Amino acid sequence: MIALRLGWRNLWRNSRRSLITISAVGCGYAFLIVLIGLTVGMAGQMLKNGTGLLMGDLQLHHSDYLPERSLYDTIGSNSSSELEEVLHQLSLYPQLAGRSPRVYGFGLLSTGENSAGARLMGVDPQVELGVSSFLSGLQAGALDDSVERSLLLGDALARELEASIGSQVAIVTQAADGSLGNDLFLVSGILHTGLSYVDRSLAVLYLADLQELLVLSPNEVHEIAVKIGDPMAADAFAARLNASENWPANTVAQSWGELAPQLKDYVGLSQGMYGFIIMIIGLFTATGVLNTMMMAVFERSREIGLVSALGMPPLLIVSSILLESLFLGILGLIGGFGLGAWGMSYLTTQGLDLSRWMGELSMLGTRMDPVLKASWGWDYVIWSALGLLLATLLAALFPAVKAARLNPVQALSAPVEG
Amino acid sequence: MWFGIIRNWTVLFLMGGLIGLVLPQVDSSQLSPAEIIDKVDHMLRGDSSQGRVEMAVVTRRWERNITMEIWSEGTEKALIKVLQPKKEAGTTTLKVGSDMWNYLPKIDRTIRVPTSMMMGSWMGSHFTNDDLVKESRLIRDYEIEIVYEGDREGIEVYEFQLTPHPEAPVVWGKMLYQVRKGDLMPTWAEYYGEDGELKRTMTFSDYREMSGRLVPTRSRMVPQDKPEEYTEMIYHELHFDIPIPKGTFSLSSLRR
Repeated sequence: MIALRLGWRNLWRNSRRSLITISAVGCGYAFLIVLIGLTVGMAGQMLKNGTGLLMGDLQLHHSDYLPERSLYDTIGSNSSSELEEVLHQLSLYPQLAGRSPRVYGFGLLSTGENSAGARLMGVDPQVELGVSSFLSGLQAGALDDSVERSLLLGDALARELEASIGSQVAIVTQAADGSLGNDLFLVSGILHTGLSYVDRSLAVLYLADLQELLVLSPNEVHEIAVKIGDPMAADAFAARLNASENWPANTVAQSWGELAPQLKDYVGLSQGMYGFIIMIIGLFTATGVLNTMMMAVFERSREIGLVSALGMPPLLIVSSILLESLFLGILGLIGGFGLGAWGMSYLTTQGLDLSRWMGELSMLGTRMDPVLKASWGWDYVIWSALGLLLATLLAALFPAVKAARLNPVQALSAPVEG
Repeated sequence: MWFGIIRNWTVLFLMGGLIGLVLPQVDSSQLSPAEIIDKVDHMLRGDSSQGRVEMAVVTRRWERNITMEIWSEGTEKALIKVLQPKKEAGTTTLKVGSDMWNYLPKIDRTIRVPTSMMMGSWMGSHFTNDDLVKESRLIRDYEIEIVYEGDREGIEVYEFQLTPHPEAPVVWGKMLYQVRKGDLMPTWAEYYGEDGELKRTMTFSDYREMSGRLVPTRSRMVPQDKPEEYTEMIYHELHFDIPIPKGTFSLSSLRR
């Protein structure tokens, strides 16, 4: 108890110096909170865009479909009930938030004067909206079931074809039976995702229309995109599906991490970076604390010599100095948390507007929002607080031990401070 | 030093004379390799031609037979119209120079094949659109040399190697082409990628006279990576050097 009181009192003997050190610890911690917040926010945003825009948390394919994406490797190519069975199996899991069967093809689109190759994607828009957001970001229009053979075009593709809503577009493709599948479609919407490779090359059709064009049966799809809400649980969910008993042998579930390893690497890398940042800032803080405590012990060496000559046990001297440093750290952390939380309250709501420096940017195949919003990474905030406290304690350990070892005679004969 | 150079010149002159004596006996036909290829090409094509051809496409997944009528004029113009099967009858391809259009009767649209789709399959076959456009430009796009001349399985043949000119817009790294010496009939052609790997083989057979001209009426293309698949063209009817109505090779004739 006496050590606590001693530590607390000693802290305020040179209040200006202590306040400076406290504010250094505080600024360091506030900086960490904001930096971690921004990094967590960015990783979360990338993950959300990467999986939520188009990919889904996981995808199911015929085991041979990737990477060649052959027209023939469909879920449903083995038996007509396969697709139904897969969808039924999926529906048994309560964590399933949505699933959307998709068909892909490649075709030549033409408006007469202009033609362009495009990736054809067939979806059921109602179901697709439960998995991905790319259809909700339509610049204009939507797939329209009141017209025959409705079509959405990526905005850059539409510009290339000089097509707009209401244009007729002929699609020619190699169908599954070897014939030349061809039909006329009506542009009923323009798509903008911000991902240039999608906007430049994607044409979205009704699932049934594309199956007909490609001469595929209604029971055949190339992909089922699945949403479970938490991307971090995707690996485990994919593993459970693949291991489940009635799962069709040729159907494989893969998480976003397997489908887009670069995205997974990025998330892993940013987590590794938090540790590094905490370490660097911890080091700076420790140096500041070390300096303060060294000064404190040096100033008080006469006094410490006196109390130890009067019989104060060395352990008490050590703990009083350590506690003084601990107070320094705790006060710094409290102030720093307040400052950091104030910054975060702005960054989580308003975000950091980077649009001045970058236009529409995509990185690693996912779109980056121009406004970077931070989000609280509580694990890292707590870990960095503990890290900083440990750093202040370690920094005080050396001066404390030094103080306890002072020879009272030498200490008392040292010149008076000031 | 000057003396030495003059002496070397003398040697060169002597050697040149010797080569001059030997060469005429080797090149009995008096034609350069490019001229032979040109001659082969012209024999099979004529100034103009019209014919009926059956195309059989066999893949791992499906088989298809298409009967087509073909008109051609020179090397730059061709019109190919599908007669059978019913579902695709009327589908027509027009080639003029390096441009290509497809007419699709089901949707009554003419679609120009963009450059990006030139490597796509033509009518589901193992031929690409690019093959149709480029087939007649061997002499223009390739450096042609004879790499073998003599007996192969009892038949005297030429074997040519075609290497693309540095600037030539071609997809092959090299081609080998065998032609029978006696009647200049092609027997096979091998297409190699830019990595030097064999990509596909075309074999010619069933040499028959059509309208007074000997032609290989059957040609089969086998892709190297899918040896069980092939596309075969069989000529049932072929006429050469006939007058072709004006306007045949125009966009407006595609719908007819």
